[in-house]
Amino acid sequence: MNRQQDDLKRRNIRLALLFGGFALLVFATSFPFWQNIFKVLGSATR
Amino acid sequence: MSYTTTVNDPAHHDHTPTGWRRWLLSTNHKDIGTLYLLFALAMLFMGGASAMLIRAELFQPGIQLLDPDLYNNLVTNHALLMIFGAVMPAAAGLANWMIPLMIGAPDMALPRMNNLSFWILPAAGTMLILSFVVPFFPGGGTQINTGWTLYPPLSVQVGMSMDFLIFAIHLLGISSVLASINIIVTLLNMRAPGMTIMKMPIFCWTWLVTAFLLILVVPVLAGGVTMLLFDRHFGTSFFDAAGGGDPVLFQHLFWFFGHPEVYVLLLPSIGVLSHVIPTFARKPLFGYKSMVGAMIAVGTIGMVVWAHHQYTIGMSLGAVTYFMVGTIIISIPVGLMIFNFIATMWRGAMTFETPMLFAVAIILMFTFGGLSGVMLAVVPADMQYHDSMFVVAHFHYVLMPGAVFGLFAGVFYWLPKWTGHMYDERLAKIFFWINVIGFNLTFFPQHFLGLAGMPRRIIDYNVMFTEFNAISSIGAMIFGFSHLLFLYIIIKTIRGGEPATSRVWEGAKGLEWEVASPPPFHTWESPPKIGKEVA
Amino acid sequence: MCSRLTGMAMLMIFGLTGTQPARAEYGINFPPPAADVAQEIYDIHMLTMQISTFLLLVVFSIVIYSIYFHRKSRGYKADQHFHNTWFGNWSWVIVPALVLGVDLTIAHNADAVLKKIWDVPKGEKLMDVKVTGHQWWWEFDYLDHGIKVESRYIPKEQSGDLYLREVDNRLVLPTNTKIRFLHTSADVLHAFWVPELAFKKDAIPGYVTETWSELNREGVFRGQCAELCGTWHSRMPIVVESVSPEKFQAWVEKQQALKVAAAEEASADRTWSRNELISKGKELYNTKCGACHQANGMGLPPAFPPLNGSPLVSGPIEAHLDIVINGKPGTAMQAWSSLNDLEIASIVTYERNAWDNNTGDVVQPADVKKAR
Repeated sequence: MNRQQDDLKRRNIRLALLFGGFALLVFATSFPFWQNIFKVLGSATR
Repeated sequence: MSYTTTVNDPAHHDHTPTGWRRWLLSTNHKDIGTLYLLFALAMLFMGGASAMLIRAELFQPGIQLLDPDLYNNLVTNHALLMIFGAVMPAAAGLANWMIPLMIGAPDMALPRMNNLSFWILPAAGTMLILSFVVPFFPGGGTQINTGWTLYPPLSVQVGMSMDFLIFAIHLLGISSVLASINIIVTLLNMRAPGMTIMKMPIFCWTWLVTAFLLILVVPVLAGGVTMLLFDRHFGTSFFDAAGGGDPVLFQHLFWFFGHPEVYVLLLPSIGVLSHVIPTFARKPLFGYKSMVGAMIAVGTIGMVVWAHHQYTIGMSLGAVTYFMVGTIIISIPVGLMIFNFIATMWRGAMTFETPMLFAVAIILMFTFGGLSGVMLAVVPADMQYHDSMFVVAHFHYVLMPGAVFGLFAGVFYWLPKWTGHMYDERLAKIFFWINVIGFNLTFFPQHFLGLAGMPRRIIDYNVMFTEFNAISSIGAMIFGFSHLLFLYIIIKTIRGGEPATSRVWEGAKGLEWEVASPPPFHTWESPPKIGKEVA
Repeated sequence: MCSRLTGMAMLMIFGLTGTQPARAEYGINFPPPAADVAQEIYDIHMLTMQISTFLLLVVFSIVIYSIYFHRKSRGYKADQHFHNTWFGNWSWVIVPALVLGVDLTIAHNADAVLKKIWDVPKGEKLMDVKVTGHQWWWEFDYLDHGIKVESRYIPKEQSGDLYLREVDNRLVLPTNTKIRFLHTSADVLHAFWVPELAFKKDAIPGYVTETWSELNREGVFRGQCAELCGTWHSRMPIVVESVSPEKFQAWVEKQQALKVAAAEEASADRTWSRNELISKGKELYNTKCGACHQANGMGLPPAFPPLNGSPLVSGPIEAHLDIVINGKPGTAMQAWSSLNDLEIASIVTYERNAWDNNTGDVVQPADVKKAR
């Protein structure tokens, strides 16, 4: 019983991390954010 | 449905925490659900108060009560409080309470994260209210006069209250993404043995689709407002044409979030209806599979039609044609949902308790809002409707019945389960009638205002718009104050009333009606067995 | 006619028929279109509205029939197998097919209209009007005629019942002429909307968006800015005065003559007296600056700072000229460089001498020229 619950817990956390990572990926890639950051940094150093 | 229930071990019930620890440190899905619902109720009243101030100002032409910036600030605040403060937390509250009960799980999959995703909300709510209040203090800068769409360049002009708002949106976004992850994991991993995904109650299905939508779109909004913040303070020019940026980019990002958000608000209430109508029609939901298919279709198509909010930005003929056809196509799955509801009522043995009254009102009024939505989707006609009061009338006809009335129906439907007391049916019916009449009186005349040429978000208008605005404002006062009765009914039910049986309603089916009313602190610690028959 | 009747019926629902207002016409539908393009839009609006009304009636009748007959209190027994009949098994195909039929009807008609109205006709000579949105006034440039009209709302005392529907300088347009509108903005988003022309287009800084129309009747058509543009969004009316091409030509010649006269006055190499500048400046200030900084110079803080007693206004003239000519980025203060030297000189002179600002300074057009 306990082993089963631990196993479930692990599976839950794994799935949650998967979706969390996915959300972060959407955050980071769905807009040209970093591209523009680099542009700004580039023009600031020049 | 046939299943065997195991009597829960009473030994587990004696360590219920008490006092503030019970709430602040709670990992119990029922307590967190209650917290969500109470938070939503508080925000509903704040958002409602701002709406009533807006309507009071618009009662007569001229500027009587507010100044233009305060008016626009209230418009912004009303939308954000209602969407992020009231409807989404209320739907999350229902999910927290009901999903574990419905699928036979002891709790949510990640109880501590559940605690976190609620307790971010009060902080976010405070930030949101600060963004409204800060300009009234010396040195607080200008008020947020952009509306909830926060379009730059106007939002770049606003003072520091915009920064509070951006921060609030980030917190709200984190909260709802965490809650969504939790709900998805719960639904995928925690179902009782034998409950296959196609036997899952529809409310769980609606939340599964909603949670996926939230994970896909909320980070995009977060990205958009982050860029706004950078434009405001760090010299970037994402949205500044003079610096090579693009003001329209923000609109795309915003509506890529904003349009699916409509379905986020709508779907949980559709889920509630899918339980309320079969219960009171005393026959199973018509078309379980087509319902599931329809909501997945709504979610999918809803993700790719966002630019119908921006027909006037000067897109190419090809682009507007695509967005128009895509938008009109959404009427197919939504029409199927409405049809399924009506077919569930058809040849049922109906009784009309308050949840069912709300359900019927939703079917009628949401159809109305949906049809005006099809009119708005037609690009040439939208050239006229866009940003007029017609749009305001349309989306209130969609969101008020589609989201808020669905939540009311859910609250009345499950309140006896939560509290163990029946609510006062007579008072609740009075509330329903005042509420629905007030709502229609408020928003029906706004269609005419929009067609006659009144733009939205204006504080002052020409005398030609007086009559309908006056009716609308009177309706808004009736509508607004009727919610005090709602509050009274809830308090009365919590304090006492006729004891509820565990089944509560004659026609109620599903696991949540197998546990006592009110349910013990811990439920389904050993999972129920689900029989062959589909719920 | 039909729609008028429906509308009146709806009005009766609200018990309003007894209270017909005497002061102003109020509408329940779009005003009659003033262009063929607008007529197309009007027709598609009426078509979709009729389809929607019909569908609404169907849904309402079925639901009302059902809640009347299929209730427990009438002793109706629930049909537990309704979802297992052939209809229950195939409705998921039938219903979407029916809805798709309606959708295609609407989309097909809408698409036909869209093709006709969306793109500006190519290969034809069009009259160009550039429409620039400002916080909170409109600027109309007649690119073919070299004239410019600044259009601002008129306070209630002067406009009466037309308050927020009347402007000081109207957008005068000829009938039976294909006109191309080029929309852009100097600051934040605005949107050009005159219901009789039946289109709306956003004015976006850095973008030029196009629309076109061909007016088919004379008249005065009133609209408003339709995209939230800040504090005085409600005070951006648009008034189109549609006149015959002959009258339009006469109007254009008059405007051109006025423009020449003003240019001559400004470029005249002369020194202006303080009183001349102040009286010119007061008039200009009240139309161009008064909306934000207010006629009494007190502004509307914190968004619009007061000019009365402002350290900037009583400080060095160069800094004062700089902010007027170049604006202040990130705020609603725009660059006023499009004004001529005389106009800027008189506004600055007025500001430095009005209210409690008694600097006694006189700024000449020549000083402005140097500061540019």
